[in-house]
Amino acid sequence: MTQTVILNARILDPATSTDQTGGLIASDGVIVECGSHVQSAPDGADTVDANGLCLAPGLVDLRVKTGEPGEEHRETLASASRAAVAGGVTSMVVMPDTNPVIDDVAVVEFITRRASETALNRIYPAGALTNGLEGEAMAEIGLMQEAGAVFFTNGDEALADASAMRRAMTYAASRNAIVASRPAERSLSGGMMNSGALAARMGLSGLPADAEWIALARDLMLAETTGCALMIDLVSTGRSLEMVSQARQRGARIGVTAAAYSFFFNELDVGDYLTYCKVQPPFRCEDDRQALVAGLKSGEIDAVVSAHDPQPPEAKRVPYAEAAFGAAGLETSLAAMLALFHDGPLSLLEALKPLTSGPADLIGLPQGRLAAGAPADLILFDPGAPWLCQREELRSRSTNSPFDGRRLQGIVTQTWVGGKCVFTR
Amino acid sequence: MSPTADTYRFDHDHLLEIDGLHRLDIEFLLSLADDYAEATRRAERPRESLKNKTVVNLFFENSTRTMSSFEIAAKRLGADVINMPVAHSSVKKGETLIDTAMTLNAMKPDVLVIRHSASGGVKLLSRKVDCAVINAGDGQHEHPTQGLLDVLTIRRAKGRIEGLKVLICGDILHSRVARSTTLALHLLGAEVHLCGPRTLLPSRAEDWGAAATHTDFDKALAGCDVVMMLRLQLERMDGAYLPSRREYFRYYGLTADRLALAKDDAIVMHPGPMNRGIEIESAIADGERSVITEQVEMGVAVREAVLHTLAGAPS
Repeated sequence: MTQTVILNARILDPATSTDQTGGLIASDGVIVECGSHVQSAPDGADTVDANGLCLAPGLVDLRVKTGEPGEEHRETLASASRAAVAGGVTSMVVMPDTNPVIDDVAVVEFITRRASETALNRIYPAGALTNGLEGEAMAEIGLMQEAGAVFFTNGDEALADASAMRRAMTYAASRNAIVASRPAERSLSGGMMNSGALAARMGLSGLPADAEWIALARDLMLAETTGCALMIDLVSTGRSLEMVSQARQRGARIGVTAAAYSFFFNELDVGDYLTYCKVQPPFRCEDDRQALVAGLKSGEIDAVVSAHDPQPPEAKRVPYAEAAFGAAGLETSLAAMLALFHDGPLSLLEALKPLTSGPADLIGLPQGRLAAGAPADLILFDPGAPWLCQREELRSRSTNSPFDGRRLQGIVTQTWVGGKCVFTR
Repeated sequence: MSPTADTYRFDHDHLLEIDGLHRLDIEFLLSLADDYAEATRRAERPRESLKNKTVVNLFFENSTRTMSSFEIAAKRLGADVINMPVAHSSVKKGETLIDTAMTLNAMKPDVLVIRHSASGGVKLLSRKVDCAVINAGDGQHEHPTQGLLDVLTIRRAKGRIEGLKVLICGDILHSRVARSTTLALHLLGAEVHLCGPRTLLPSRAEDWGAAATHTDFDKALAGCDVVMMLRLQLERMDGAYLPSRREYFRYYGLTADRLALAKDDAIVMHPGPMNRGIEIESAIADGERSVITEQVEMGVAVREAVLHTLAGAPS
């Protein structure tokens, strides 16, 4: 029996709104006891003195891309997991737009097996909603779910055909599967940054917010009529949250995620044609950023994701208009959320919840909390420690981070997955 | 006591749908069909109730089984039978449906047995002709003789309909068989449950007499007296309404393990033709609890009863 004991920590458990000084005992990978009464370690246990640092559940990230299988030069499951544990991410869902696409049981099993052999954290595959992500024939939702796929998505593009989407959601509902949809009307998604005065002045074509609203309106309606649990994959505007709120009032089962970068940046940060800031959905206007922060506070947004999308230099060291979309994010999600704590709008627990129990609850995982019986996936972090984000020091195989050169506060010092220490700074 | 030809008058000119029939109408037809089934088993021939009558099989949609069944039924009653598989003939030359009907009507047949791919197509024709019309299947609407033969098969196997739990599993949404059989069973007091993936289930099936709809086949099977599997149309598989054949078989295929969840004496039915290995395991289809060939036999008997009732010489 292997025991891990952490003493003298500030225990932060967003699931129960706990913020107290105490300790935690984990045994055989599972949390046994946690609270202020844990003051000493049993004999022979592996003991860590936290010295007052924050102890929280490991982060659960619902949107990560790697290049495995197919584009391992961008990122492998192993390299992504090294970046993840340094950023405190102990569980992550990988998107199905790999090569081959995760659209059948064999690829789901490949990901699961490779993850268990090579990765430091827990990796869950998301399954493709349609074969080859082509938006037509429904993929084997039931069989992939049995093999371990946690939700089903058409990737970065919304399923264009409303009838195909309706059938897929109807079918998913009868298998109790969750469908995730990235709200972006395809015919309005040809732009490069947030549509507006700045884009016009820079001479860049715009990605209008109504592209998000149009796609979102359709999917919210389908969620209502089909009864399918729908995860809105990356909202970026305040109005989207109003629409979700209405759909929820009508009884639709909606989960909402947003990218960590959407709370930190606005469109002005694209500044001097910074290709690392070219992302989908784009950095929106300041009003939207603030509305998203308000949505975190009100609980309208369930989960904050890294939207980790590693892109090699050849895809980013080109003119803005020609650059690929996507930002590396596994190592900066926590600091991006802690910025909202340091700036005032959120408490520490409010900043942590959408990174831990919020996403875990969306897809029904037992982790993301410091409860007895939950997996001992833990992080120790210093919420106030200042650091300079430099891409050369990031662990991801691709370091296309919009946080490059930014001064951040709050850093993970130690990470455990299943009671085993996988990272120490 | 079922109503018999001596005591009951079947007060319909056509047989277009189960919807609108009275419970006694169905019991009357079943009773007559039972007699015909027994007569056939005893090899009693010839029967002459349709002697000198002309029955036209007008099939706008390809069918071998149903058309043969009607043909045999009519011939056993002594009728002259003309088969008109029009799926490939005059309709293709541009003649409208109603023109075809008017042409046939001018030839003065006594019964038109019609199958059409459009829901309501047979009813439309029935309004344009002077003879009796039997619906042999219209689109996704009804297939009344199939409903009757299913009920007769169950009644003969179980001795009753009242109180039985019947589960129909498969593509309910597009099935005219499911509609007719559900309506008929409901009229006679059975508890009908419908099961399939939600993409293939209709909304508000309770309006046509179903007790409940289910997506979990295993749970739905508990306590069933009858399990009826429907044919899955190939064009509905492979991604449109369902991910794949193997996923369908995994969740909705009738296997020996699944059948064990129903009552020990549950019977297995299928309107045919079967997709073995997709909706039903071969061992079950050919097993001792299968009454699938009995359904075919009762098909002829039911069609004899319907032809006799609509066009037979007054007794």
